[in-house]
Amino acid sequence: MTNSRKFGTDVRKSILYYILVSFCAVLVFQLFNMQVIKHEFFDEKSADNSIKGIVQTPLRGVFYDRNYKIVVNNKPSYTLLITPSSYNRKLNNVIETVIGAEPGYIDEILEDNIQYSKYIPIRVQRDVSFQVISWIEENKEQLPGVSYIVDMEREYPDSIMASHMFGYTKEISRKQLEADKGYYDMGDFIGNNGIEKTYEKYLRGVKGVKYMLVDSRRREIGRFKDGLNDKESIKGDDLVLTIDADAQKAAERGFKGLKGALVAIEPKTGEIIAFVSSPEYDLNNFTTVTPKEIWRNLNSDPDKPLYNRATLSVLPPGSTFKPLAAIAALEEGVITPQTVINCPGGFYFGRFFKCHGGPHGPMTVEHALEKSCNTFFYQLILRIGLDKWSDYAKRFGFGHKTGVDISEENRGIVPSTEYYNKRYGPNGWTKGFIVSLGIGQGELSVTPMQLAKYVSLIANDGKSVKPHLVRGYMDPETKKLVPFKFDPIDTKVSKKTMEIVKHGMYLVVNGAGTAGNAKIPGITVAGKTGTAQNPRGKDHAWFMGFAPYEDPKIAVAVLVENAGFGATWAAPIAKSVMMAYLNKSSLPQNQTVSKDSNGLKNQNALKDQNVPKVQNGSKEQNRPKGEEKIVAASIKN
Amino acid sequence: MRPRSRIDYQLEDKFDVVLFLSVFLLTGIGLVAIYSATLHNPSASGNFTKQLFWVGVSTTIFFITYFASPRSFNLVSVPSYIFTILLLVAVLVIGKRVYGQKCWIDIGPFSMQPSEFAKVGTVLFLSMFLSREKTNIESIWSIITGFAIGFIPVILILLEPDMGTALVFLSLTVVLVFWKGISLFGLFTMISPGLAVFSSMFGTVPFIICLAAVAAGLFFFKKKLIISGAIFAMNLGAGFIFNFVFKYLSPHQKQLIETFVDPNSDPLGAGYNAIQAKVAIGSGGLLGKGYLMGNQTQLRFIPEQWTDFIFCVIGEEFGLIGSLIVVSLFFFLFFRLLKIASQVRERNEFNSFVVIGTLAVLFTHFAINIGMTVGLMPIIGVPLPFLSYGGSSLMANMFLVGIVANIYKNRKQYT
Repeated sequence: MTNSRKFGTDVRKSILYYILVSFCAVLVFQLFNMQVIKHEFFDEKSADNSIKGIVQTPLRGVFYDRNYKIVVNNKPSYTLLITPSSYNRKLNNVIETVIGAEPGYIDEILEDNIQYSKYIPIRVQRDVSFQVISWIEENKEQLPGVSYIVDMEREYPDSIMASHMFGYTKEISRKQLEADKGYYDMGDFIGNNGIEKTYEKYLRGVKGVKYMLVDSRRREIGRFKDGLNDKESIKGDDLVLTIDADAQKAAERGFKGLKGALVAIEPKTGEIIAFVSSPEYDLNNFTTVTPKEIWRNLNSDPDKPLYNRATLSVLPPGSTFKPLAAIAALEEGVITPQTVINCPGGFYFGRFFKCHGGPHGPMTVEHALEKSCNTFFYQLILRIGLDKWSDYAKRFGFGHKTGVDISEENRGIVPSTEYYNKRYGPNGWTKGFIVSLGIGQGELSVTPMQLAKYVSLIANDGKSVKPHLVRGYMDPETKKLVPFKFDPIDTKVSKKTMEIVKHGMYLVVNGAGTAGNAKIPGITVAGKTGTAQNPRGKDHAWFMGFAPYEDPKIAVAVLVENAGFGATWAAPIAKSVMMAYLNKSSLPQNQTVSKDSNGLKNQNALKDQNVPKVQNGSKEQNRPKGEEKIVAASIKN
Repeated sequence: MRPRSRIDYQLEDKFDVVLFLSVFLLTGIGLVAIYSATLHNPSASGNFTKQLFWVGVSTTIFFITYFASPRSFNLVSVPSYIFTILLLVAVLVIGKRVYGQKCWIDIGPFSMQPSEFAKVGTVLFLSMFLSREKTNIESIWSIITGFAIGFIPVILILLEPDMGTALVFLSLTVVLVFWKGISLFGLFTMISPGLAVFSSMFGTVPFIICLAAVAAGLFFFKKKLIISGAIFAMNLGAGFIFNFVFKYLSPHQKQLIETFVDPNSDPLGAGYNAIQAKVAIGSGGLLGKGYLMGNQTQLRFIPEQWTDFIFCVIGEEFGLIGSLIVVSLFFFLFFRLLKIASQVRERNEFNSFVVIGTLAVLFTHFAINIGMTVGLMPIIGVPLPFLSYGGSSLMANMFLVGIVANIYKNRKQYT
């Protein structure tokens, strides 16, 4: 008990007392420190928690054709919203009747979204009509929790399909979102194919953000700092395409009911005037969320409308490849323009290679092109040699991707010694394999896009620019075109050789050749037909040509699948595109253009005329209609 | 005697007004805060009504206890301890797992937290043991038995695992043994390994400093070299064993320890609550944002705020003034308990131990809970007595203060 006296109850009580007092003192000090001294710091952090950032989705840039005519535009579309917190389900019947939905539709959607905050509006139906919107406006008082927003969607005002060229936007996938470095949010739309995909970075614009104060129920109660910190969204850049709306329409008209592809190029610039892959699909079905049924139909269609035939179809070019052999032979000095080869109706090399329409008798290279004599070119390729020939084919871009500025492309096949050795082994093939290459058959395969590049190179004497669909974008400040740069192409073939080959192609249309039906009154057309043998059905028809012969302004390559003879089916389509393009530029006001050496001056004049309209147009669309999204900024601390 | 007592009768003689008022004011403030915290939370909207019910039940328990026979608590101490230990074993077997912890037993529509009731059993049994005439706190066996009574629930609760509640039992045991009159050296021997473990959480250097302090303490006590050496070895071992045990802790617990050492190490995970709690209280300022106006509370930045983070509601919506009122009420309560405990000690040691045990339980809850919300303690989930939502906790605490009120009423008997 000595211990309890020395260190008894009173001392122990005091110890506990001081522990109590000192802990409470520390606590009071810490509370004072946090709530008074550091109050501002914590208050700011807390304010971050009550500010909601609303993303302002910018308007997408529009597309102009080469004459500054809008071919892809934006249009408002109304989406009906319901905010569950203030909505009364008794209204279901009325609204379902007004929007033409089945009974139970709204309940189903509300149930689907039950896990989200009931203060966040739910998208009930996209693309509701303007009548529905006016009904909502008129009956606002009786419709608590019912509202709408204006989304922007694509519109194709000029009845141009151009589905494979324009492409469409699609809701961003999880994979794309993961690869993205911070621009996109869930539910954003992103260019999926065609120009929409390649030029996504120009078209998408810059997102803005609007900061709103929210009350404890996350209702917006006002703007944060009167919008001082807000950032306006910036509209995407408008693109100026190289296509000509009229030529494009003519091309699409020509393909009605046919399968195939067409590419028309301005030879001097590499600008694509028309670009068709047929059958097309209707881009209007892809402006918002595409119904599953449409996807199913498109994917199961035996004609494969989603397949871009212009850049993906690989087929033997047939006789359209004869000019290439002629170029190689003339350039390599294997023949002269005067060299005569006899056609007895065929050619024996290991076996008999037949000439169609023959015997043609003795002829020079020009006439061999005119009559498309097989015998001549069977012998020619043997004289040139496989690898020299293959080298020329590659100079004109065959066996390589053309690098056109849209989506995926096939490179095709240009056989060479290396290719055959790889495929059959060094002793597994004979020179007999080469003979049919001379007339564009055998293992040679090309895309319509490659053929178009090739014919434009011929038309412009071996020089051009990488084919492309977009000329540039409109600078939003100066409203002037900012052109994109594309690599020049030079095949290094002499002008003399080209003159001879072009004259041969002139004769095809204007002489006793195979494409007389491509003639256009008042305009000289040159061209070449071709037939790609199809072991599975009717042959595929090719035609390539350019006009005017004297100063080529358009070069066209056409493929019509399962059509038979090239001249019958393919040539008329090419002709109509040329007419649509050239006749317009021969209108009185435009005749000054052709006098002008390259039409540049006139283009500027056209631009100046059109620019004010462009401005007005975009201003009109610039009304704040950005899609609103709630960002998770409020959670970050 | 009778007539005189009638004449002199005053309310304070039989009824501790300070104790009663502080407890019921705190409970009332708790209801107010729970209402605010659950107002916009669909998953917890019924909690205010439920808590009202629990307040009713607990108040009844308080008064039943208050009017009970003063002798009954000593009598029930052993059975209540055994019963609550059995409950703690049961929860490990049939318990329901919530957030990785097995703390709950379903009884019909309610869930019960046995560890809350085990506090009552442990306070009573340990008080009974320490107040026995046979118990000599200077004998090593008495010390070991006393600690064993407290450590059985600690181990069972650590298995749930519920670190916060285990700490409450630890503190309860230490305080009671201290109150009994353990020598400074005995206390030093018992506590120092705990400090060694705590310091080793922060790394090697703090651990070495702690060991140096232990060595200095041993030097001060001037005990035999072999005893001093053994105690030092115990400390050293405790630090190493902790690091060994740390590897086998659940990831949840490892994270608790890691975020305590550095709360910013995981701002969106375990550190999130620590940061949001401070933001809520700090942004409250002097006068608070107003009732139901705290955006931290109303926008539910802190999960399950009506339980362990209820103090944030008060700090945010009622500011420093509100926080100080709560802290003061607790302080009055604690001070009152300490006073009663020393008043009754001469007459009835058991009663004194029960009151000190109650103080230890309530104060440890208070210190850990408010300490964690203001960033002085790690985020260890324990409820704030009388304020946090939860029936088990409220009933157990009300039962304990009911016993204290009973002891106060009968303090002048047994003379």
